[in-house]
Amino acid sequence: MNKVIDVKDLCKTYVVNKKQNNVLRNVNFSVEEGEMVAIMGPSGSGKSTLLYTVSGMDKMTAGNVTFCGKELESLSDNEMADVRLEDMGFIFQQMYMMKNLTILDNIILPAVKSKRNKGNRSAVEKKGRALMKKLGIGETADNDINEVSGGQLQRACICRSMINDPKVIFADEPTGALNRTSSDEVMEEMVKLNNEGTTVMLVTHDAKVAAKCGRVLYIVDGNIRGEYKLGRFERSETLRDRERQLNNWLMEMGW
Amino acid sequence: MFFRILGKDLKRKRVMNVLLLLFVILSATFASASINNMVSVYGGIDYFFDKAGMPDFITLTMNSDGVNPTEDIVRNSVSVTSYQREDLFFYNAKNLKKDGKVYVDFENPGIVTSVSGARLTYFNGDNEEITEISPGHVYLGGLLNDPEKVHPGDVITLELSGRSREFIVDGYVKDALFGSPFLGNPRMLMNDGDYDYFLSDETIRSASCGCAYYINTDDGKALKKELTAVKNALFGESISTIKITYLLDMLTAVLMMVVGICLILISFAMLSFTIKFTLNEDFREIGVMKAVGLRNSSIRGLYLIKYLCIACVGAVIGYACSIPFAKLLLESVSRRILLGNDNYELIGLISAAAVVAVIVAFCYSCTKGIKKLSPVDAVRNGETGERFKKKSVLKLSKSRLPENLFLALNDVLSKPRQYVSMVVTFTMCILLVTMLANTSNTLMSEKLIFLFGTTESDAYYNSTEKIMETMGSDDPDILDHIIEDIEKELKDNGMPGKVHVELMYTLPVEFGNEKMNVIMQQCKDTQASEYKYITGSAPMYANEIAFTPQIIDELGARIGDRVLIEINGEKREFIITATMSSFNQVGKIGRLHEAVDVNVNDASSAMAFQIDFDDDPDAEEIDARIGRMKDIFDTDKIYNAADFVNMSTGSAQTMSDAKDLVLLIALIIAALVTVLMERSFISKETPEIALMKAIGFKTRSICAQHTLRFVVLTVICTCIASVLTVPLTRLISDRVFAIMGAQSGFEYEIRPLEIFAIYPLAVAGVVIVSALLTSLYIKSVRADAMGNIE
Ligand SMILES: Nc1ncnc2c1ncn2[C@@H]1O[C@H](COP(=O)(O)OP(=O)(O)O)[C@@H](O)[C@H]1O
Ligand SMILES: [Mg+2]
Repeated sequence: MNKVIDVKDLCKTYVVNKKQNNVLRNVNFSVEEGEMVAIMGPSGSGKSTLLYTVSGMDKMTAGNVTFCGKELESLSDNEMADVRLEDMGFIFQQMYMMKNLTILDNIILPAVKSKRNKGNRSAVEKKGRALMKKLGIGETADNDINEVSGGQLQRACICRSMINDPKVIFADEPTGALNRTSSDEVMEEMVKLNNEGTTVMLVTHDAKVAAKCGRVLYIVDGNIRGEYKLGRFERSETLRDRERQLNNWLMEMGW
Repeated sequence: MFFRILGKDLKRKRVMNVLLLLFVILSATFASASINNMVSVYGGIDYFFDKAGMPDFITLTMNSDGVNPTEDIVRNSVSVTSYQREDLFFYNAKNLKKDGKVYVDFENPGIVTSVSGARLTYFNGDNEEITEISPGHVYLGGLLNDPEKVHPGDVITLELSGRSREFIVDGYVKDALFGSPFLGNPRMLMNDGDYDYFLSDETIRSASCGCAYYINTDDGKALKKELTAVKNALFGESISTIKITYLLDMLTAVLMMVVGICLILISFAMLSFTIKFTLNEDFREIGVMKAVGLRNSSIRGLYLIKYLCIACVGAVIGYACSIPFAKLLLESVSRRILLGNDNYELIGLISAAAVVAVIVAFCYSCTKGIKKLSPVDAVRNGETGERFKKKSVLKLSKSRLPENLFLALNDVLSKPRQYVSMVVTFTMCILLVTMLANTSNTLMSEKLIFLFGTTESDAYYNSTEKIMETMGSDDPDILDHIIEDIEKELKDNGMPGKVHVELMYTLPVEFGNEKMNVIMQQCKDTQASEYKYITGSAPMYANEIAFTPQIIDELGARIGDRVLIEINGEKREFIITATMSSFNQVGKIGRLHEAVDVNVNDASSAMAFQIDFDDDPDAEEIDARIGRMKDIFDTDKIYNAADFVNMSTGSAQTMSDAKDLVLLIALIIAALVTVLMERSFISKETPEIALMKAIGFKTRSICAQHTLRFVVLTVICTCIASVLTVPLTRLISDRVFAIMGAQSGFEYEIRPLEIFAIYPLAVAGVVIVSALLTSLYIKSVRADAMGNIE
């Protein structure tokens, strides 16, 4: 199997008021192609920071991240931008969208930007609408972002992250701002996406969400404290069981 | 608690607060400087004359054989209420040398006054009264006040009747009486000792001395009548006529006043923008404050105090900056005129205080919205009511535009209010420059040639000597001989042509009870019908006449009325058949039919000799011939039509200087506003920039997108300015020309390349470059900065 993400001795230090805050301390792990990995841990343990540094959204202090064969710290800003555009999608906890574009336009923005789709805007639009339909928000395409619900907006963010068929999708608590039903819908999409071959790495504090992932990393104080392999989630009847296993393990970890 | 929040706010949102402060400083500077300049210009010539102590009437006389002929007449006149006498002596341009050479040229005699003999108050370049001058130093006024010819510190020599003395030029004098270049008696102000040195010469005392009488009167008309008894009067005019000689300077001053109004508009546009902008920025915080239970009034109070603090600091700094800025704006106008007001500080402070008041008022009205917002509304998007409107105007999916241009265009179109102030500013910048350019181009164009009461000729040859010869002679044919000589000279040099000249006659005109002296223009070699008239029809017979509307109004007459004019001692009746426009005599002039037998020796002045070549040469050939004629006649004073207009209006250069200054200021304003605005946008849009980076936009393309917004803006501004420039030029310059005497009937010289391309492009170029350079700051925004609102 191919390693899409390989992290070696990753460190991240914030300096606030001259005080060093070592948020990530020598983190090592890797993710294989097609995996779905959940990162869990107490609040403030560095989950978001990990996701930001691994995805190149933020610079690392030390260490080494290889993303799809490219060493991130050796990339120029422009190369980094291309990687973000073509190879990855990122879903934020807050549903950041361009305020003065419609939902559809927000979604197709990366596709329009991509060289692959140059001069083929109607195809891009079609793809955007198709994605929206698939995620059940087809009717909101021409709405402004303040005219839809949070769940719809988060699904739109997923659409946006998927529009360029990325190899990896990162999601930072994608369900954090959603109610149970919306959350389930969103997770269903993520699982589907993963089943179609996209690698997914998400941060969550919801065991129900993590139970749908193949592997769970538990992070405490900037260290990976443990790892639990659940195996690929295929049949929904097994969910209860997976959840119980996971909860037991989490209890052991001090959750 | 209140001040803790305030202090934190000022520190945390440093960039936005600094920008706000800069805008306030800019606005306060503009407002203080402009309001002050408007007051200064409004006081105008009256202020100058008042400070200089100008009387109702001035007469300048020459002593004959050392005897002053005026004193008795003035002393015994019943219409004189008070008078003062200023002794002086005369000199000519050729008496004045720099580096051993004659360096200026003027026809009328110049006058020398001693400091202690001065009866007017004279001011130096810093608007201070000149009360003493060291021996060997002089101040120069009138035509001599010309930085192109002589600078303070230069040495000039005055040689008169064998006496010669070197002087160091201390500076220029603002001389209320002879300050205007239209009154050709430049004044030199010197130390008493130097003055006496010249006066101790017998020839100077008997042949070159004279006096100026500054007379106050209660009956101007009677005084004028009595003073006709003075034989050697060089000059006798009422204060109102002298005021008119400053018209051209005042016109530029008035245009600078228009500039001031525009600057005030710009500053308020900027203020309203900045306040709305920074407040919108804060809605997230406002939401949080509401959520924790602060009352509306205290949230509002917090912002009012914040803006009050910034406004006060900004207004103080702005006021300080306004003093040099105001001076700079009026520099080109105030060289000859004392412009000013006695309450500079007070008005400046009031304007600065007004800026503070406006800021607080804006803030008060902008924070009204706080009441309506629920905490969640405020937090959710950090935006006000705007967010309930449809935002996206264009559809990316339906658009064929490149995505950067699309995003830029969509941004401008979907948030038009954010850009209004910039559109106003840039449009105003372009308009200011193009309006001044239109006016000064027109004042230099041959389109105005008819306003000098001349036909359009190939060349114009100004020769005071030849005219003086005509006026000083008793030979009625002398002018014909002079013209024949010129024609012969031209023919001998292979450029045959016809020559004619317009003469002016001062004639008493009567209509009913009204009686006045009117300058009448006539040329025997042309036909009255060759000239332009506004209404009526050209005089066809010797007993028909045309006047400007100003004269007709003053007489109380109308077209078709009959007036009496005394010519050669005989009263004749004339029918008014037409009205015309003219700059000559500030529009107080008439035209006689060519057949009226006025005597050329009685002419009071003349226009240039006009040359029409027989072979209709093109413009290039005309200029070549003008060059040759300058050699043949040994003079510089031969012009083509456009140069003749330029020379005659005299103000075109001042105006064109003013235009260059305004262009510079406009470009600086455009650059400044752009930098501040773009920096504000980056601050405000940090989350969106970060988002674009996160989804893979390169810094370069986000910069391009931001810069493109300004491109879109400048295109919009150029369009608006192009539409408005001509009507606005008309609106303002019609009045300018009317003050100069021409009330109607002229066209503007619009140079499309300059007006619709060069100036808009200059402004657009500066805006776009500033935007681009500022947008590079986007590089420092990180992809994960979405949540960080500065
Ligand atoms: N931009 C930043 N500057 C300084 N410190 C930060 C920044 N972002 C996060 N931190 C700190 O890093 C630690 C981990 O934060 P984060 O990764 O967001 O935790 P979480 O696991 O809850 O997502 C926290 O202690 C936080 O204070
Ligand atoms: Mg987090």
